[in-house]
Amino acid sequence: MAASTTSAPRSGSARSRTLARNEAINAYLFIAPYLIIAGIFTLGLLTYAFYISFTDLKSSLSRTSNFVGLTNYINAFRNAEFQISLINVFWYFVIVTTLQTIGAILVAMLLNSKLKGLRFYRTMFYAPSVASSAVISMIFLWLYLRTGWINYLFHTNIAWLQDARGLFQILLAPLGIEVTGTFAKGPSITWMALMFMNIFTTIPSLMVIFLAALQDIPAYVYEAAEIDGSTGAHAFFNITLPLLRPVITLVIVLGTIGTFQVFDQAFIMTQGGPLKTTYTPVLLIYNKTLGQATSADASLAAAMAFILAAIIFIFTIIQRRYIESSSERF
Amino acid sequence: MAVSAERRPVVLAEPQRTPREMTGIIIRYALITLLAILVFMPFILSFLGTFKTNPEVTAYPPTFLPTEWHFENWVNTWSVQISGAGNNVFARWFFNSFWLALLNMVTELFFCSLAAYAFARMRFPGKDLIFAFIIASMAIPGAVTLIPGYVFYARLGWVNTYLPLIVPKLVVPFGLFMLSQFFKSIPKELEEAAYMDGASRFRTYWNVAIPLSRPALITLAIIQFQGSWNDFMGPLLYLRDPKLLTLTVGLNFFKTQYAVEWNKILVGSMFNAIPILILFFLFNKYYMEGASYSGLAGQ
Repeated sequence: MAASTTSAPRSGSARSRTLARNEAINAYLFIAPYLIIAGIFTLGLLTYAFYISFTDLKSSLSRTSNFVGLTNYINAFRNAEFQISLINVFWYFVIVTTLQTIGAILVAMLLNSKLKGLRFYRTMFYAPSVASSAVISMIFLWLYLRTGWINYLFHTNIAWLQDARGLFQILLAPLGIEVTGTFAKGPSITWMALMFMNIFTTIPSLMVIFLAALQDIPAYVYEAAEIDGSTGAHAFFNITLPLLRPVITLVIVLGTIGTFQVFDQAFIMTQGGPLKTTYTPVLLIYNKTLGQATSADASLAAAMAFILAAIIFIFTIIQRRYIESSSERF
Repeated sequence: MAVSAERRPVVLAEPQRTPREMTGIIIRYALITLLAILVFMPFILSFLGTFKTNPEVTAYPPTFLPTEWHFENWVNTWSVQISGAGNNVFARWFFNSFWLALLNMVTELFFCSLAAYAFARMRFPGKDLIFAFIIASMAIPGAVTLIPGYVFYARLGWVNTYLPLIVPKLVVPFGLFMLSQFFKSIPKELEEAAYMDGASRFRTYWNVAIPLSRPALITLAIIQFQGSWNDFMGPLLYLRDPKLLTLTVGLNFFKTQYAVEWNKILVGSMFNAIPILILFFLFNKYYMEGASYSGLAGQ
């Protein structure tokens, strides 16, 4: 090193250029498998699906298709089943995201105290959320039987998974008001039964996220607030909630993405019934893609999939904007 | 770095508790215990249900403990025979789920860590742009690509094979994101020492970075194994032959054919739930890490 001081800068920069080139080649080799797979099966597939949505492809097996422009997108919005499924999923999104977020915060608050053995409880609470949607659906199908545990515990005799009566329909009936229309009737008993099941399993796992955030709030924040006379509910609404805001945004955004794509439970437990009150957009897209003979319309299904993606995207953008900008008040 | 869910509130000195505080603590414990029992109830009830006869499992009022313990339900379900699917269908589905989850897990760990290492440690043109694209791809709703993707795989002739469940899952954006974050967090010095000693980039990655990343790799392995083991929509879309099914869709197939045999359906559910619950209790520390990582990914 010391001997070749005169020529060092020149050859050094040439050497480092070769090194940089070698490094780049190496790096591209490292990421090549990822890029090839993601390029074909994410980007390629997405492009192909997008292309299909502009054709008249009916069955996924047919070989020929023509370009039809925006026809599928227009037909999708006119499709009665798609409208129903969007209304259903809207209720599911509103009710499930709200209740699971509030529920998870409450349980996290309960667990975030100086009690011994909390690790054990945390483990117990998280456990149910590792079970598959198929298993949860099977277990609740059984619990929701006419002769099942749910009816037994609540002293009811409701056919939970066959009751199409809507929430508002039931609430307004005693007042002599008869509600008609898919939206006005509100979510059906069956749909709410599925919502309850979903909330039951998501609260514990979301709770873990809140708990981590709560434990990151330093104790001195509360101590300072206490000196200023802020405790209990006041401290919760003015200190805890604002500090949790980024996590709340996250949980709501994740909840939105998840609820809008609900499929497994509806497929296993109700197949969209009764009277299509649990029919979801993804279930409809599934049926249109794989459906038999005349009911199959793969290109329409692709258009519906992109509309659904756009809806999810818009909702999450609004949520981020709204929740994040309102935090500036603090 | 990862927000640790394990962190405990710091208690410096145990102050003398007043009777009022004690009542508060007792009430809290009672509430938490009650909640924990409630959360576990569906599993306890259905586990007990697996030992009942079929009339008893659907009887009203329901019984808590089986009047007679029919342990043979488990054996009978394991070896259920379905025409067209052959003997021991549940055993077969269990095995299918298992090797598929294991394969998905191993391939994803390898390819994601390889790419993640490059993003975390190496310099190359276009790095930030490519990384931004990969992060953006995490935002694509899964169901949106999955179903129109059916047409794509039908064209390739991959329907009724495991290929659509293996090849696209060789890589997962979340895995790359998580591992690159982790690689960035470990000190560079060790790798630099190995690199200076003449080890190739690959050897440095394989012999130094990978062993140092065990916690992150285990976390990701669990997430991936569970995702694959629990997956319903993928196998439902692509597997037709009852012999090829995984446990989740197999269970649903069994339910549609034998809707009245609730004790067997519950046993089948246990075949799916118990392995993942065991995994959870063994590795629950890593699960909590994973939950906080998925938190980071969304931000």
